[in-house]
Amino acid sequence: MIRALYSAATGMTAQQTNVDNIANNLANSNTAGFKARRQQFQDLLYQTMVQPGAAAGAQTTVPTGLQLGLGTRATSNEIVFTQGNFTQTDNPLDLVIQGNGFFQVTLPNGELAYTRAGQFQLNKDGGMVDANGNLLTPQITIPPNGQNVTIATDGTVSYTVPGQTAAQTAGQIQLATFINPAGLNSLGQNLYQPTNASGDAVAGNPGGQEGLGTLLQGYTEQSNVSVVDEFVNLIVSQRAYEANSKVVKAADEMYQSMNNLTR
Amino acid sequence: MQSGVHKLMETVSVIAASGLQSRMQALDLVANNLANSTTGGFKLDQEFYSLFTAADDDSADGTTTSLPLNEKQWTDFSQGILTPTGSPLDLALSGRGFFAVKGPSGSLYTRNGSFRLSTTGLLTTSEGYEVLDASGQPIQTQSPEPIEVSANGTITQSDKELGQLQIADFQDRSVLQKVGNSYFSVSDAKATPTPTTDATVQQGKVENSNVAPAESAVRLVGLMRQFEMLQKAIAITADMNKQSLSEVARVSGS
Repeated sequence: MIRALYSAATGMTAQQTNVDNIANNLANSNTAGFKARRQQFQDLLYQTMVQPGAAAGAQTTVPTGLQLGLGTRATSNEIVFTQGNFTQTDNPLDLVIQGNGFFQVTLPNGELAYTRAGQFQLNKDGGMVDANGNLLTPQITIPPNGQNVTIATDGTVSYTVPGQTAAQTAGQIQLATFINPAGLNSLGQNLYQPTNASGDAVAGNPGGQEGLGTLLQGYTEQSNVSVVDEFVNLIVSQRAYEANSKVVKAADEMYQSMNNLTR
Repeated sequence: MQSGVHKLMETVSVIAASGLQSRMQALDLVANNLANSTTGGFKLDQEFYSLFTAADDDSADGTTTSLPLNEKQWTDFSQGILTPTGSPLDLALSGRGFFAVKGPSGSLYTRNGSFRLSTTGLLTTSEGYEVLDASGQPIQTQSPEPIEVSANGTITQSDKELGQLQIADFQDRSVLQKVGNSYFSVSDAKATPTPTTDATVQQGKVENSNVAPAESAVRLVGLMRQFEMLQKAIAITADMNKQSLSEVARVSGS
């Protein structure tokens, strides 16, 4: 009886976590470069009431035992790295990655972080920075008189200078990839950092053999959150929460009527 | 005769109490099923009632002492709904069969195909258990490029074949014992898994739990009413006992 109460409680806690995750996905449905997280659950241990193979009588054995489960828990919410939709912006420094790569940026503390949000700007020194001011790595600098910035699919950044016909090359943007991107650690602000689970970053030039993908200039990558899917998950989660609360109520009533046996 | 009646009454209480206990265990099962209604690859459990008859029951008046009890639970292995996720490492089975993985102590079987890659590129479950191929070996990927999995479980990466997933099934599925985290272990050492071609592997999908909350809610109501009924039976027996003590056995004049 107490088991049923606690099993139902684990179900309710797990669904609360699920709703938290759905809420965060929905809140970020308009965040460029955001990747949705998907909540996963697992069943807990089982209590064995009747051991399989125990003697049922002098001649027979129980073919399967009686095992009572103890509920569920929210295990992981892995990042789903599917491609988001593209929106045209005509801003020459807006980039999307068509593939699995990540842009590399340097945080103020000197560490590298990785992002899919390719909305870059120039800082006062002409360096390409992300929306938070973190420098793109390897560093790309456009001089003050540079115009018509063009970024090729392989990441080569070029610009023209007034009075000169030949385009100048500012550098090549590099992308990084991970063997298990689902294991990345989210820092917020669309940034990720590698963990033991994700493996180390493998950097390379866009368009290569490593599956990094190619760059597309003048577009941003929308969030990959599907609002319809999230709403469906929300309904399922809400109903599951309700069903678990019904179990709590049923267990309570059964407990009450058991207490009424002794009057 | 009187002792016979008395025995009958005690028997009713004992039988009803046994019924109460098995309904409580059934509630535990329903609670666990409902708690796992969103657990990927979870298969619901149902109780199996049977009768316990005392072997040395030799009552002359023909009332046998047989008690209802929950002898075992059986797992409903019916297919759960497949939900598309878009992740190339999410694999779902359509049809009979299980993925085989290397657990900490021997092989484990699961329908939860939400896999990932380890830092060394091995295909693993979310606990880090290696997913096994048809020859019982782990599956090693060569690069971070996405893998492709065909319907028969053959994994390819950049047109290079990495191996075929082991899809195992059991003649008698009652040997499978739940060990938590959506895994099954084999309780009988003599039962060996057989490779099956019944199941097709679907990439980019996960199998949902096969618990139907509506059906479980109906069972919950049923259990509650049965519990109430049995409780009434005990209360009535107690009343009858009380009456026989206070009225039948009344000494005149007292």
